[in-house]
Amino acid sequence: MIIEAKGLTKKFGQSAAEIVAVNQVDISIQMGELVMFMGDSGCGKTTLISLLGCILTPDEGELRINQKLVDYENDNLSLIRRRDIGFVFQLFNLIPYLTALENVMLAMDISNTRGFEAEKRAEKLLARVGLKHRVNHRPGQLSGGEKQRVSFARALANKPKIIFADEPTANLDSRQSQNLMGLVQELRQDNQTTIAIVTHHQELRKNADRVIHMEDGKII
Amino acid sequence: MSKIFLKDMIYRQARVVLTIIGITLLIALILFLGGIMNGMKIQARQYVESTGADIWISAKGSGGAFIGFSLLVPEYLAFLRHDKRLTADSVSPLVFAQARPIIRGKAGKAIVVGYKRDKHGGPRHAIEGRMFTPSEFEDYRPQDLPLAEVVVDEKMGLTIGERITIGGKELKVVGKTKSLMFVLDTPLLFMDIRTAQDVLLDNYLHVNMMIAKSKGNHNVSEIATDLNQRGSIEVRTLDQTLDDIIDTYVDEPMKAVTFLRVMLCLAAFILVTMITYVTTLEKTQEIGILKAIGASNHYVMLLILKQVALTSVIGVVFGLILSYLFAIFAPIFVKIDPVESAVVAAISFKACCAGGYLAGHRATLVDPMVAFRGEI
Repeated sequence: MIIEAKGLTKKFGQSAAEIVAVNQVDISIQMGELVMFMGDSGCGKTTLISLLGCILTPDEGELRINQKLVDYENDNLSLIRRRDIGFVFQLFNLIPYLTALENVMLAMDISNTRGFEAEKRAEKLLARVGLKHRVNHRPGQLSGGEKQRVSFARALANKPKIIFADEPTANLDSRQSQNLMGLVQELRQDNQTTIAIVTHHQELRKNADRVIHMEDGKII
Repeated sequence: MSKIFLKDMIYRQARVVLTIIGITLLIALILFLGGIMNGMKIQARQYVESTGADIWISAKGSGGAFIGFSLLVPEYLAFLRHDKRLTADSVSPLVFAQARPIIRGKAGKAIVVGYKRDKHGGPRHAIEGRMFTPSEFEDYRPQDLPLAEVVVDEKMGLTIGERITIGGKELKVVGKTKSLMFVLDTPLLFMDIRTAQDVLLDNYLHVNMMIAKSKGNHNVSEIATDLNQRGSIEVRTLDQTLDDIIDTYVDEPMKAVTFLRVMLCLAAFILVTMITYVTTLEKTQEIGILKAIGASNHYVMLLILKQVALTSVIGVVFGLILSYLFAIFAPIFVKIDPVESAVVAAISFKACCAGGYLAGHRATLVDPMVAFRGEI
């Protein structure tokens, strides 16, 4: 198992305004699996992947990444994120003043991989996502589909064990979405990377090894 | 990619340029004000040192030759002349007071220096024209007035033979001396002791101070201490007099300027803190993304501090250059001290970095969850 969580619970707000965004979720994801989280807006999908991606700290429960229990008190969560996890965001979240190449290299820079080695690897990743001709373009000069491809290349920069993608196709048309999912499948096979995608696009479910439905913070 | 902070600065160049301009002006002002004070100190010292005297005598309780209102009667001359520790014939009276001369119909500012020609207290030769005619009356009878003549600073732009008025009395310019401005470029007007008594003291036979030169084999401090015990006079050494004059003419009146300089340094700190803080708030989403993809707090802090450090260094260097330019074109004598410049630069740089650190600390508190919530 690359991810194993038991009793994960996350609450927001206090007393009467308290919302249980994720409620006693048990989940395990295997190495190389492509999992999709589906459900209505507000059902807790994004909160769950934020918990699994060590961005949020749960109120209850435990999480193992690559069979190692995450110690929220003592572990360096940013180190876990840059070493084991890649993120793809709904709104791409590329740094606007950096080129596609530099955005990918940024993730490596954070992991202290710099210089020629980083540049070659970033070029290779961008070529792999079909953007060899766009390496020196800034996000503002790229289409939505291209931006999301750069996001995937950035997520792969540090050879993560798992990539969490939050609604990666939400801002793409159906053709771009299908192209992106094709790319995701290829990347998974190339890199043996586990991928967990949050989406509400039902037509994408055929690409998944497993679909996990959520409702009111619980897996159903 | 280690130059990400540079790319961010270029992306936000308008803000960076404005910050640099702000720091530049603040540093230039801090140094320029310091330069004015240094210039005043130099000008305050140079007259006192130019007299060649090392014993300064004023009325008891006046606080010193240049501090309070000191008036002495000429009888002290005789008393001091008999002191074997003082160079023979070096003891001389001096009138030194601010005046508002009327020059070409306009009131100006000047210091009147009344002394005995060929004694300590003023120049012995004119560089143009001649020295004033000395009074011939050693017993200082009020009715025996010398010729109303004055020797002016070469930079005053007066011509030989021209007339100026002080205290309602007309004086003829008979010569010019090498420029020796007093504090804030105040020119010195040299005249006979009796002429000065006439125009400033309404012809009373008092002087502001007596000055003398000790003999080389005697300790000046001991002479001053000894003379101080003789009652009714206050005797200061050259160093004490210099301290007095700087304290009176520079430090005291410039207290507000010193305070202003500290405030300007604080303003530089606040400016950098505010701008960096606001920029950090604007970059919350971006910082959130960096943190979401694994950037440590140390990485985020360094990113901010590198930007602040570079901005501050550029601002400080430009500020130093600008302050020297200000000094060149200032209408008064300004002397910027390189050591003080280095100290101000170092303090300002540290203040700016401290401001950047506060903003950087704010950045480290950004929740990486913001990366999920919106677009940059």
